[in-house]
Amino acid sequence: MASPGEECSPDTFAFMELAIQQAKLALDSLEVPVGCVIVEDGKVIASGRNQTTETRNATRHAEMEAIDVLLEGWQRNGLSKLEVAKKISKCYLYVTCEPCIMCAAALSILGIKEVFYGCANDKFGGCGSILSLNLGRSEPCESGAVPQGKGFKCNGGIMASEAVSLLRTFYEQGNPNAPKPHRPLAHQATR
Amino acid sequence: MNKTTDSWEILHIPDKPPTPPDQQPTVNVFASVIEPKLTNTLVRRLNQIAPLEALRHVKRVQKKYLEGGKTQLSVILCLACENDNQLDSMPHGVQELVNFYQLSPFITKVCKFDALSKEEWEEQCKLWPTSYHPPTYNIDGITGFGQEDSQSVFSFMKFAVELAKSDHGLVVNAAVIVDPSVKQVIASACDESCCWNTPTNKTSIRPCSLKQPEACISHPDSNIVVTHDSLLPNGSTTKLEQLCTGVSCLYPWQWSEKQPHTPNSCYWHPLRHAALVAIESSAARDRQLFSGLGDFEDKSSELDHMQSSFTSSPAKRQKINLNNVEDDEKLDTLTEGHHCISARPYLCTGYDIYLVWEPCTMCAMALVHQRIRRIFYAFPNLNAGALGSVYRLQGEKSLNHRFAVFRVLLPEEVLDVKL
Ligand SMILES: [Zn+2]
Ligand SMILES: [Zn+2]
Repeated sequence: MASPGEECSPDTFAFMELAIQQAKLALDSLEVPVGCVIVEDGKVIASGRNQTTETRNATRHAEMEAIDVLLEGWQRNGLSKLEVAKKISKCYLYVTCEPCIMCAAALSILGIKEVFYGCANDKFGGCGSILSLNLGRSEPCESGAVPQGKGFKCNGGIMASEAVSLLRTFYEQGNPNAPKPHRPLAHQATR
Repeated sequence: MNKTTDSWEILHIPDKPPTPPDQQPTVNVFASVIEPKLTNTLVRRLNQIAPLEALRHVKRVQKKYLEGGKTQLSVILCLACENDNQLDSMPHGVQELVNFYQLSPFITKVCKFDALSKEEWEEQCKLWPTSYHPPTYNIDGITGFGQEDSQSVFSFMKFAVELAKSDHGLVVNAAVIVDPSVKQVIASACDESCCWNTPTNKTSIRPCSLKQPEACISHPDSNIVVTHDSLLPNGSTTKLEQLCTGVSCLYPWQWSEKQPHTPNSCYWHPLRHAALVAIESSAARDRQLFSGLGDFEDKSSELDHMQSSFTSSPAKRQKINLNNVEDDEKLDTLTEGHHCISARPYLCTGYDIYLVWEPCTMCAMALVHQRIRRIFYAFPNLNAGALGSVYRLQGEKSLNHRFAVFRVLLPEEVLDVKL
């Protein structure tokens, strides 16, 4: 799944570069620098960046922002549910960090075609790190039942070092306005 | 209505299904004895091609002490099918490794879930070694609810159930976020995946008192449910499924097949499940109530988003801690003259949420991100539930937010649906 650089076209890097641009915009507004673009027929049709701090809503990840842009636009153009479903099934997501469990579940619900991501997300990752929601039906689960759901193809490690270095910048510079976190940081760093 | 309360009950849904220590569920894995010098190479390769994500408590390598002071190492290759002893069911990549290093795979059992106690852990290690992390958190209710707290829980759950009875003669999911310290509703919402322009007041973000939910129980809306009786002969699961097709978390993947009940002018959004809408409302309320705070933000929300690896070196950790000391001083200066600031909650820390159905994976993870402390649901979601049915996120150790999950057992007639 994580096959950096393998079978990646120059386009893949160009789109990931655009996702990184989004991540940089997030960094500029003191947000965790994660960004993404959604591509249909070789064209970027939506972009998003993490906005959890500004919105006070910890679910406003880059992917969710971009998805909202898409769905709103398509509905404004009068597309039906079936038409939207069909279009999404041809879309590619380029995101600087592995989608978390929530976003990966959302991408499965929507039925996206394929995801390219930068660095892995070893605390919350939903595309292989913690859960593998990208595998859809094939994944065995705890209750022994085979979960329903659509899978999507996933390619990790694309321009991961750029994605990581943005995150590192963010965590190292710190936030001058940050009050004391609710948990000791040492606990965060134990793994 | 008063007939119901007696048969309500609150059950804690633990990090894993409860079992006696010596009857813990197991899974089959392929394992093989290996040369000690190959350990690192093989483990690295196997972690790539056959990660044991659902078995993070299980050690990949087992060390056995043989007679004469010798040791023998065995490694888990991959999961095996439960009723299949065929070695050819191994993934291709693993099979290649087996051939290349001339391993002799055998099937063995390992414990499926983390040990919750030392006794369980000791039993587990008889099969195959696991790691054990004693629980370090305590959340109200895990050890039981007092009379008053129970009544409060039931009352908020009733409120959620009433919300779930939609205007279209179908049942939807409903979510109610509550601050239990003052028994106040912070936000409430219904599924909006089919339509989110409904002219109802159900998504009110105004805080209301505990009295309001009770008043809602005699809301005219509840009459709708009576009409289901004719639709629902006892035990008819087909009809039941029809009734519940509007519950987003139960059928997350079927959004494109659902016909909207409303005119085209109405927006729909496959991800607007009740829990996400409620989170959005509570965030809106937060921004509204504390709007004067501007860019005054909390670092831990950011830390929540990503992994620990960026703060893992001691030097970095120290630096961030130093920042925090300075930040505290700034915080003190900022809070002077603004006594409400110190009361600003961090996301939904300390809040509870009441859901009629167990949330799907997306919703459950959203609640973790938003730091909900306790999740109460009435009905399990066998299709997509992530808090005990299909997945069990409360048992995922990597999620650094500790939360507790409870099921509120309701009398069947609450939805007038046999569940
Ligand atoms: Zn996410
Ligand atoms: Zn859901």
